[in-house]
Amino acid sequence: MDDAGERKGVDIAMSAPVLFERPDPPLLSLRIWPHRSLSRRGFVLVIGMVSLALTVPLAPFVGTSAFWGLFPFLLIAPVALYAALRRNYADARLSEELRLWPDLITVERRDPKGAVRRWHANPFWVQVRLLDDARIEKYLTLQGNGREIELGAFLSPPEREALYRDLRNALGELRDG
Amino acid sequence: MADAAHAPDQSAHGAPGFFTRWFMSTNHKDIGILYLITAAILGLISVAMTMYMRLELMEPGVQYMLLDGVPNGHLWNVMITAHGILMMFFVVIPALFGGFGNYFMPLMIGAPDMAFPRMNNLSYWLFVAGASLAVISLFVPGGSGQTGSGVGWVMYAPLSTTETGMSMDLAIFAVHLSGASSILGAINIITTFLNMRAPGMTLHKTPLFVWSIVVTAFLILLALPVLAGAITMLLTDRNFGTTFFAPEGGGDPVLYQHLLWFFGHPEVYIIILPGFGIISHVISTFSRKPIFGYLPMVYAMIAIGVLGFVVWAHHMYTVGLSTTQQAYFMLATMVIAVPTGIKIFSWIATMWGGSVEFRTPMLWALGFLFLFTVGGVTGVVLSQAAIDRVYHDTYYVVAHFHYVMSLGAVFCIFAGIYYWFPKMTGRMYPEWAGKLHFWMMFIGANVTFFPQHFLGRQGMPRRYIDYPEQFALWNYVSSLGAFLSGFSMLFFFAIMFYSLRYGQRVTEPMYWGPQPDPTLEWTLSNPPPEHTFEVLPTQDMWDHSNKSH
Repeated sequence: MDDAGERKGVDIAMSAPVLFERPDPPLLSLRIWPHRSLSRRGFVLVIGMVSLALTVPLAPFVGTSAFWGLFPFLLIAPVALYAALRRNYADARLSEELRLWPDLITVERRDPKGAVRRWHANPFWVQVRLLDDARIEKYLTLQGNGREIELGAFLSPPEREALYRDLRNALGELRDG
Repeated sequence: MADAAHAPDQSAHGAPGFFTRWFMSTNHKDIGILYLITAAILGLISVAMTMYMRLELMEPGVQYMLLDGVPNGHLWNVMITAHGILMMFFVVIPALFGGFGNYFMPLMIGAPDMAFPRMNNLSYWLFVAGASLAVISLFVPGGSGQTGSGVGWVMYAPLSTTETGMSMDLAIFAVHLSGASSILGAINIITTFLNMRAPGMTLHKTPLFVWSIVVTAFLILLALPVLAGAITMLLTDRNFGTTFFAPEGGGDPVLYQHLLWFFGHPEVYIIILPGFGIISHVISTFSRKPIFGYLPMVYAMIAIGVLGFVVWAHHMYTVGLSTTQQAYFMLATMVIAVPTGIKIFSWIATMWGGSVEFRTPMLWALGFLFLFTVGGVTGVVLSQAAIDRVYHDTYYVVAHFHYVMSLGAVFCIFAGIYYWFPKMTGRMYPEWAGKLHFWMMFIGANVTFFPQHFLGRQGMPRRYIDYPEQFALWNYVSSLGAFLSGFSMLFFFAIMFYSLRYGQRVTEPMYWGPQPDPTLEWTLSNPPPEHTFEVLPTQDMWDHSNKSH
């Protein structure tokens, strides 16, 4: 949907352990991110229209002193809207990327402020669980390598169910060889 | 990596205490309620002033507003100024946009809260600070050697630039703060609307109330900065020797009027548009039919919003505009009747063939329909520059704008309150009381304002403390009507207090019976839990377009 996650995140290639930059293509690669209903194009359109509309009351005053009475306020409005929308996108600059190889499963999570957290395990021993009694509905977790992590906690329950099915199938195929 | 957290309530926290919940609130539902309560208190103050004014106008001569036995015109001027400023900036917009907008807009789009909850809190407290300044301005030294400023809510220069005392400055600051609060609120709402709608909720599937709030937010964002600039120039003219509006220094007092009305006309749509949204839902619910002409309704609101920016000088036909300018503003103004007509007829078409149920909110909605149409028709009359020569600054104008705002917008507020009160509180008001309130207010308001058309046609000017004998009859009738509506306001507060404590508990989420096209707030308990839609709602929860009605 959007590339916001990649824009400001830590450059993975530079700092990631060797484990996370394998040259061979993974069997399965999934990237998930929170829902945002405004597209990039919509963002540009909104800011453009607001800025344009605000020049209308300003135009007649070019060259007069009243221009300077109005200008600061007419400038603040679109700038504040721009900042607000950017900030709101930034709050959703959260992504989780799951990759699966025959002998390795990795999950990288990038937080809104750029921190990257990683988990990896041997897929043969990994357990995928979908819980109904957790704090959120259809809570999806992965257990392996001594840790249990959550996956897609920001998705909707049906999306997590679909993700659960996909993961089960992929892991099942892998184990069946 | 976020480690899994299994315990069901691990992330939940204890219920906040009273002070934390209501004074440091970041919850959109609590802030919505705060807006409604604050607006109600300020509304009561503002209505109390009108009671005093109508009492004074009941008989010719000055009987009550006296200072040492002499008529006190300044007090009168202060009252109309304060009534206007409070109602325009601190009662109707905060109730509709701040109150209902905050509470129900995020619920209807399935968002967990506003995009910026703490900025929401800031908006509310800026509004409170502004309202406090407006009230304080009544009691500090002002013009005519008395307290308060009596320049009218429009604050026209040069009257406002020459009014002595700090009262005028406080009033300007009050409007400034209200503007800052509204702009922050608007940005919050626009961001929430654009980015946080539930998956699948495309623009053409967004509920009408949400549309009405977001169109309002855009109007605020585009209009309020102009007002902020204009009143800042007033401040510098008053205090720093600039001459933006002073002809002796090369300025132009009419410039202020242009700027004020460039904001002021969109302002009246800022006031009424959220009401349009509420009315759409109420009429659909109690007609058991989905709204007629959803898309035309959306685009009519957008059209009204856009047209609102190009008609401002119809408030200024008598300042010396050229004939061409007057002709343009006349035509542009009349065009607004088209989208407004689309809305009125779509509401009527929604009721057509429906099984209409006359519950309290529906009565208010129907009352609104009638009153707003009357106010709209007199608006078309006033839009004609030639006729406006006669009616300008008469009671005809007072009657017109009270029909669309005091009656139109206020009836929307009451429709919204009676419609959603059980949703917000979990308790139902006595149906008879709601209906009695409606009839008192409906009759009272019509008796107050309809005769003012006659007074205007007789030539009675606005903004005067006294009038000659020949206007006595309809002023007397008008005052009687005002007392009835004033009493109905007190009765309304009694209903609210009674229902909050003793009202019957409502547990059914969809308490008005099955709805043709229920929005997301009807899936929630009464009152909704503290946190709603932390998990995104699915499309089948709100999209009923594939089901047969």
